[in-house]
Amino acid sequence: MRLIWDELRAALPMIVDGNPYLMRIIGFTVEVAVVATAIAAAIGLPLGVAIGTGRFRGRHIVHALANTSLAIPPVLVGVFLFELFVPQAPLGSLHLIWTRRVVFIAQAVLALPYVVALTAAAVQGLPPGLLAQARSLGAGRRQLYTLALREARIGVIAAIIAALGTTLSEVAAVAILGGNIYGYDQTLASATLYEVSGGYYADALAIGIVLIALILILMGGLGLLQHQGEGIRMRFRSPA
Amino acid sequence: MAYLWDQLRGAIPLITHGNPYILDLLWVTIRVAFISTSLAVAVGLPIGLALGLGRFRGRRALQVLANASLALPPVVVGIAVLLLVLPSGVLGPLRIEFTLRAVYIAQAVLALPYIVALTPAAIQGLPPGLLTQARAFGAGRVQLSGLALREARIGVLAAVIAALAATISEVGAVIIVGGNFQGHDETLASALLEQFNYTAHQPYETAIALVLLALIVVLIGTLTVLQQRVGLQLRFRTP
Repeated sequence: MRLIWDELRAALPMIVDGNPYLMRIIGFTVEVAVVATAIAAAIGLPLGVAIGTGRFRGRHIVHALANTSLAIPPVLVGVFLFELFVPQAPLGSLHLIWTRRVVFIAQAVLALPYVVALTAAAVQGLPPGLLAQARSLGAGRRQLYTLALREARIGVIAAIIAALGTTLSEVAAVAILGGNIYGYDQTLASATLYEVSGGYYADALAIGIVLIALILILMGGLGLLQHQGEGIRMRFRSPA
Repeated sequence: MAYLWDQLRGAIPLITHGNPYILDLLWVTIRVAFISTSLAVAVGLPIGLALGLGRFRGRRALQVLANASLALPPVVVGIAVLLLVLPSGVLGPLRIEFTLRAVYIAQAVLALPYIVALTPAAIQGLPPGLLTQARAFGAGRVQLSGLALREARIGVLAAVIAALAATISEVGAVIIVGGNFQGHDETLASALLEQFNYTAHQPYETAIALVLLALIVVLIGTLTVLQQRVGLQLRFRTP
C-alpha cells in the first residue's frame, strides 16, 4: 500500500502544477479522440444506417464483417496499416509512418467498426413498422436515414461513445504507427506505456489518472447527451 | 504490391516450419487467454448474477459502474496491477512482478468488466415473467441462478467470448505488468508491439501477425458457432 501512496503523492503535483509535457499530451489526446471519432462517425454513420435500413444484397455480409472486425486486435490493425504505409509499400509515398497524422488515421480505423456495427444494430432494433411506414408514405432515402438516426439515437450515441472510448484508450496501433515519440505524437495511453518502460511509475500513474479523468469527462458528457433527448420532446417532433 | 508479397513469402516458412519462438508465443497466448478468462468468469459470473437477479439497493448504481468499467484503458489496468504486485505492494510478498502470473491477473482484471456488465444485461433481457414465475413457484437462489444462466446462455456466452477476445488482443497491461521478457511472458500481441519498437522490419512480425489473426478467427469463430448451437439445442429441453 505504501508504494501506491508514495506514487500517488509524487503523481499529484505533476497534474496540479500543469507540467507542460503532460499538458501537451492531454491536448494531443483530446485532438486525436475528437478528430478520429469524427472521421469514424462521418464514414461509419452512413454505412451503419445503410446496413440497418437497406435492402441491398450483401448487407448481411457487410454487417457480419463489421461485427467480426470488432474482435480484431488493435496490434494487428497497427501492423496492417504499417505494412501499407512503409516507404516500400503501396501507400508509402504519403510518408505517414511516425508522424502525428498517422495517429489520427490509426484511431479512426479502430473506431470505425464500432460506429458501423452498433449503428446498424440500433437501427435494426427500431419497431419493425416504423421505417416501412415512412417508406410507404413516400420518404426519400435521405428522409428515411434521418428518421432512422433520430429514432435510434440512443443506440447511435452509444456507438459514438464506444468509438470515443477506443480512440482514447487503445495504444497498440498508436505505438506501432506513431513510434511513441516523446512529446510529439504520444497520446496519454501510449505515454503511460512509455513511462513504465522507463521505470517512471509515478509519471505513468499521473498520466493514467489524467486519462481516466478525461475518459470520465468525455464519455460522461456524451452519456448525458444520450439520455437528454429521450421521450416526448424529440420523438413526436414533426418535420417543419 | 511486390513488397507485401515479399513480406508474406518471408513469413509463411516461419509458420509452417514451426519456428520455436513463435510456437512459444502462441502457447503463452493460449494459456493467458484461458486462465485469465476462467479467472474472470469465476469471479465475474456470481457478481453478474447478483446484479442481474438481485433486488437489493444500489443495484442500479453498481450496474452503471460495471458498464463504465468497460471503458477502463488497458494501460491503466496495467499500472494499477503493477503497483499492487511490486515488492512493496499488497501482493508484493507473492513475488510475481514481471512474471506470467502477473499477466494472468492483469488480463483477468481486464476481462472481468465484460462478464460483470454483459451477464446482467443478458439476464435482464429475459421475458419479464420468467424469473418472477420461478420465484413464485418457490425456486431458491441457486435454482434461480441456474435457470437464469440457462435461459440467458446466448448472452452469457457472448460475454465470455468478448472476455476471451480481450485477453488475447489487449497489449497495454501485458507489457506493463509482464515487462515483456522475450519468450517468457510475451503474448503474440505484445511481442508484435515490441518487435516494432526495437527491430528493423522482419518477416517475424508478419508471421506473428498471421498467427495471431488465425488464433482469433479460429477461437472466436468456434466459440460463436458453439454459442449458436447451444442456443438452439437447449431451448426446448424440459427439466
